[in-house]
Amino acid sequence: MMTFIFADLRRFWSGALAVVVLIALSVALSVTVTLQERAVRLGSARAAEKFDLLVGAAGSETQLALSAVFLQPAPLPLMDGAVLGRLANDPRVALAAPVGFGDSADGFPIVGTTTSLISALSPNLSQGAHFSRLGEAVVGSDVALSPGAQIKPMHGTAETGGETHTAIAYTVTGRMTPTGTAWDRAILVPIRAVWQLHGMHGEEHHDHENEEAGSHDAGKKDHGHEHEHGHVDADAPLDEHFDAQSPGVPAILVKPKTVADAYRLRQEYRTGATLGVFPAEVLTRLYATLGDARSLLLAIALGTQAIVIAAIALVTIMHVGTRWRQIGALRALGTPVRSIIVLVWGELFLLFVAGIASGITFGYAAASAISARLTASTAVRLPVEFAPDDLWLAAGFLAVAAAVSIVPALAALRSSPAAALRA
Amino acid sequence: MLTLDVSDLQMHFPGLAAPVLAIERFHLPAGGQLAITGASGSGKSTFVNAITGLENVTHGKVSWNGTDITRLSSGQRDAFRARNIGLVMQDFHLFPGLSAFDNVVLPVRLARRLTAGERERALTLLAATGIDRVSQKIETLSRGEMQRVAVARALLQRPGVIVADEPTASLDRNAGNEVAELLLRLSAEQGTTLVVVTHDAFLAERLGRRICLASGRVDEDSGESAAQ
Repeated sequence: MMTFIFADLRRFWSGALAVVVLIALSVALSVTVTLQERAVRLGSARAAEKFDLLVGAAGSETQLALSAVFLQPAPLPLMDGAVLGRLANDPRVALAAPVGFGDSADGFPIVGTTTSLISALSPNLSQGAHFSRLGEAVVGSDVALSPGAQIKPMHGTAETGGETHTAIAYTVTGRMTPTGTAWDRAILVPIRAVWQLHGMHGEEHHDHENEEAGSHDAGKKDHGHEHEHGHVDADAPLDEHFDAQSPGVPAILVKPKTVADAYRLRQEYRTGATLGVFPAEVLTRLYATLGDARSLLLAIALGTQAIVIAAIALVTIMHVGTRWRQIGALRALGTPVRSIIVLVWGELFLLFVAGIASGITFGYAAASAISARLTASTAVRLPVEFAPDDLWLAAGFLAVAAAVSIVPALAALRSSPAAALRA
Repeated sequence: MLTLDVSDLQMHFPGLAAPVLAIERFHLPAGGQLAITGASGSGKSTFVNAITGLENVTHGKVSWNGTDITRLSSGQRDAFRARNIGLVMQDFHLFPGLSAFDNVVLPVRLARRLTAGERERALTLLAATGIDRVSQKIETLSRGEMQRVAVARALLQRPGVIVADEPTASLDRNAGNEVAELLLRLSAEQGTTLVVVTHDAFLAERLGRRICLASGRVDEDSGESAAQ
């Protein structure tokens, strides 16, 4: 039986290959869409996991979440440094860490923050130690710098015409373990170093609390603003105590002690000049949009599949047409009807299975390749993985394939062997 | 060895008022050798299709050793044909991609497991038909060799009758004569009834009884008296 099927497939190998490729491509399309959507959802949710509550100046919630969680460079308004002091001393807060953006080095964003945030992201360092002086830095796991390396910070990014700071060169002291988030590409430095580098001193800048500070803006400000490049004492010891006199920051990461505290803090800081957001909430909203896009893509994928199934039906009808005589001859030689059904059905079903299997493989490979590219540029790990639901999808494909394959077999048996032989 | 009895057989084609085949009574004793001749369209192929059960018969009786195949379902007719009738067709209907041996045993393999005895018999028959390289792909053989493989296939399950429809028509004279010899010799050896539709006078002359069909009726019958 199998000998016959394989002999037949060898004869029609080009047609068989075309059918397999058609099915494989259409299955691969829907597999890729499904896996990639899931990868983006899981990956970004995991990236946001460590950021319970963000507090920033009043403005766009989405931008605040994207900038802090994914380190997307964008101008963010600064908020009053007093907010940081107040949060740092709030009994409901386990951790309040300032996050200051604006500089970069070799394409990696430099983030001004505190050692407690580093501990929150990476409880143990994979190499070296935390920074303990203003001129020191801890790098994310994807930053290709070893402890001891020098980092020359640049305002903004090289692409946007940034200018290199001459006042300081950070020395790498440690490296974080991989977190699977955008922070793997970050260079973390003491927030006070960032403040001083930009000439920001709490007392002098009370009137600039809503001043725009971000990559582009920071770059522009250097030309023509009264803002001067400050002097930084690289050897000055770390001071991570913040009070009402602290300079402004674009975002503060807050870890509340309890869930109830989280909701209360978010409520409290959603008034007036500040904005409290749960990044997870913002992401959920983004997923809703993403979900719509996915339904659309899946609908397109399903449409493609319908076309492919129609094409396959056509191919099989023509195929059976050319094999009418062969089937007639088999019946003339006394082959039982069930054997003929198994032959015709089995041969088609084999093609379907081959197509579906290679489609799943192609789809998985494509999703992995896309994820790898995205991870390389954002450092956010996008896990490509199958879920139990996918079994239903695969089972559905197989069921349709099994049903479609039986049609030509039955069609072939409708006429008498003599009529089939004359065909 | 099967005896053929046909009575009151009429075959119609849709849209044609007159029957394409109308045979009131026909008898072929077991072991008989029959040649059917006649012009194109005289009903030869229809006759063969009717007596082999390849075509559904709605009017009349066709019985082999008392089994009326017109009363069988199409599946039962297929099974009856597999057991009792060896078919040799003008276009061979061999399956490319398979070897000569695999072609001979294909009908058995598609129905059930091949026995050791059948394997042995297939090789013996191939040897008797003069095919030496039994594992050679069928499409690499000459047309005469192909038809000889088809004859071996027809004889594998020891059928009671061999029905050959123009077995030599698509072969050149030499190959045709070889196939004709082979059919006559093997059916005589096995004692099978033999029915051959042919234009080939050389082949027809060598069969014991000849009928000539015209407009669906038996026009001449060389051995009617002898048969009755």
